[in-house]
Amino acid sequence: MTQATYTGVLDLAAGAFLLAAVLVVWRRELRALVRMLAWQGAALATIPLTVGIYQADAALIVVGVVVLLLRAVVLPLLLARAVGTEDHERRESTPLVNTTTSLLITAGLTVLAYAVTRPIIALDPSPATRAVPAAFAVILIAVFVMVSRRRALSQAVGFMMLDNGIAATAFLITSGVPLIVELGASLDVLFAVLVLGLLTGQMRRTFGGTDLDQLRELRD
Amino acid sequence: MLGAIGLALGLSVIFGEPRQLWIGWLLPLVGVRLDLDPLGGIFVAATGAVAIAVGIYAVGYAKREHWARFPLITLPLFVAGMLLVPAAGSVTTFLLAWELMAATSLILVLSEHRRAAVRTAGVFYAIMTQLGFVAILVALVVLSASGGGDAFTTIAANADSLTPGIRNAIFLLTVLGFGSKAGLLPLHAWLPKAHPEAPSPVSALMSAAMVNMGIYGIIRIDLQLLGPGPHWWGLTLMIFGAVSAVFGVLQASVSTDLKQLLAYSTTENMGLITLALGAAMLLASSGAPTVAAIALTAALLHLLSHAAFKTLGFLAAGSVLAATGLRDLDKLGGLARRMPVTTVMFGIAALGASGLPLGAGFVSEWLLLQSLIHAPHDSITLVALAMPLSVGAVALTTGLGIAAMVKAFGVGFLARPRSAAAEAAREAPMSMLAGMTLAAAACVVFAVAPALLSPALQRVLAVLPTVGGDSAGPQIDTILRLPGVAGSISPALLAAALAIAVLLALVLARWGGRHRPPAMVTPLWACGADSLSPRMQYTATSFAEPLQRVFDDILRPDTNVEVTHFAESQYLVEKVTYQTLMADPVEQRFYTPVVRAVTVWAHLVRRAHTGSVHLYLAYGAAGLLIVLLVAR
Repeated sequence: MTQATYTGVLDLAAGAFLLAAVLVVWRRELRALVRMLAWQGAALATIPLTVGIYQADAALIVVGVVVLLLRAVVLPLLLARAVGTEDHERRESTPLVNTTTSLLITAGLTVLAYAVTRPIIALDPSPATRAVPAAFAVILIAVFVMVSRRRALSQAVGFMMLDNGIAATAFLITSGVPLIVELGASLDVLFAVLVLGLLTGQMRRTFGGTDLDQLRELRD
Repeated sequence: MLGAIGLALGLSVIFGEPRQLWIGWLLPLVGVRLDLDPLGGIFVAATGAVAIAVGIYAVGYAKREHWARFPLITLPLFVAGMLLVPAAGSVTTFLLAWELMAATSLILVLSEHRRAAVRTAGVFYAIMTQLGFVAILVALVVLSASGGGDAFTTIAANADSLTPGIRNAIFLLTVLGFGSKAGLLPLHAWLPKAHPEAPSPVSALMSAAMVNMGIYGIIRIDLQLLGPGPHWWGLTLMIFGAVSAVFGVLQASVSTDLKQLLAYSTTENMGLITLALGAAMLLASSGAPTVAAIALTAALLHLLSHAAFKTLGFLAAGSVLAATGLRDLDKLGGLARRMPVTTVMFGIAALGASGLPLGAGFVSEWLLLQSLIHAPHDSITLVALAMPLSVGAVALTTGLGIAAMVKAFGVGFLARPRSAAAEAAREAPMSMLAGMTLAAAACVVFAVAPALLSPALQRVLAVLPTVGGDSAGPQIDTILRLPGVAGSISPALLAAALAIAVLLALVLARWGGRHRPPAMVTPLWACGADSLSPRMQYTATSFAEPLQRVFDDILRPDTNVEVTHFAESQYLVEKVTYQTLMADPVEQRFYTPVVRAVTVWAHLVRRAHTGSVHLYLAYGAAGLLIVLLVAR
């Protein structure tokens, strides 16, 4: 793989990664959100795969494959199953912030991410670190999704995006985390999603819906 | 199961007695440094001895009171924490052991958590002890940072390079933190709440061993590591001590709750010890090391004897509580017939606490007074003024202490029972009596033969050179002699003389009795009333009434007298209700405003907690953004 291809693929992956996050902000359909998440997982897995092939690092390729399986296949499947159990809750109810404003805020957050990561890029300018702002923007967008969405399931999607963003930042800055660290982080996410799925079911049984605002009643 | 519990307690007791290991001994684990020198050794030994008595007692107590398993498991842990505190050789170990001690004692205080009073006391204790811990933590972290090391030995070596500002800050913080543990005055409020509400063996451990750790901290950090310091250090300690002693004993003398009385007496005794420490500091810094050594000996000896008689006092109060379910002195009485051994035990404890000759507290209080009286009057005006004033404070404390203890013993144990529960009292089981007997034996040793402790005290003094410890301390022999000062006393000879006098009196009475007419039984004169009832006896409240009247301005009792007249004539009284509520005035004055302010703040903060998950997430997001922008 030449230097030019490497840079191109890496930039493409980071771009797709960020685009998936923006689409999550845009779409309301829960199934579409999960599909976007799967695409984002694939884009995330491309990063260690590309770096691994470019640097001929077998461990990194293994990490990439594991990430691909977990974040593009297993986790979205789990979430999709949670969506599929209920028919009337296909769509996100009215979000706290409307779609246009959300997209504007997303744009602002992306600019902010580019602004705050400048010192990091200045440390070691390379194709990988230049893609860091995209990963960082995904973290901020994910936090915004969690703040603005009502359904428990979209919260889970936001949480997974947050974790994807953190993982991408780690891959890009360190050019590959050790296998054991990545496995640990991924297993954490897997468990978190399982617990979230359980809690969603519990909420549905208790409140008859998964609108987080109903949790307000739990306050003393 | 009880056997296993007994074994666990026994183990704690065996562990609680490393007295043979007095000579410095080092055990470097990973980051845990234990360094036991004679100063720590004397505290470890005192704690261990208290733990032995309490451990044996607790076997019977647990069986009788059906103690839950969890507090019983915590008890050895608590003892272990208290043993580790004086054995700690570094700041980290010290703080770790301190927190272990604080947390386990809190669990033990809460072991009867189904009663509301216990929960209130627990909350109070938790807040006070953690605030104290924060003060200690800050002080010790500053100390280790500026002292160039974690180990106490390193800090001691570098102590001279500390700036006066840092020294003063550390001194004030440690006095606040350790003072709150020792129950010194403005920070004492947890003590009379938590000690009475804890189960009696725990009260004994806390009151006789745990409060000592506060004193230990002051000695270790302020006297040993930081040196004598300027004059106002000693003076501050003396003021704290004197105020605590007088206030504690005043509250004790008007208290009608047996265990609360003992708890206030703890404040009093810790005040006396702090007063002695302050005097030693002041005297050492004004160039009178010999007298300072006497004051220091007085402090250490009083600490040990207090541990002995307070253990005994709380254990005896515990067996009264177990037998009758009562702590209110106004409802007790007549226990001397029903629980003779417990009565004798409490008598020994009360004698010790009152500081009379042949009581455990006498020798140390005598030493303290001697050191205060024989302070050099001509050197510094401050010393010349402070010493006579503190003599007055000690004298007042001792006098009121006698009143308090006479009240506790006389009203609680003598006369006729004032309630059905007191009438049905039964003597405590064997193991409880055995535990009390051990503590009583220690009391007698302190009272009659303090010479046995002399070598130990000498070695402790030797490691405290900054407060005149290297000069010759008082010679505690059969006859106590004070070097450089005219004064000597011999408790053993006093005891022997008293015993001979009592024997003589008995023999003479027997001899003279033969010439007397035989005794007759006649009805008692009851002032014209029909008969005497137990309700006509002096109660604790009525006994303390004159004192309460004299110290009305300080105690501020809430007295309520309601007189109901007959409808026909207002000169005839149908009934009179008299009610006195004794609240702690310091607590009301100082704590209420603080608690109110905290509550207002808490309400303000609560407005931010709406219960909306999104708002909480938004808080987090906003925080993240702010940090990102600021850190850029």
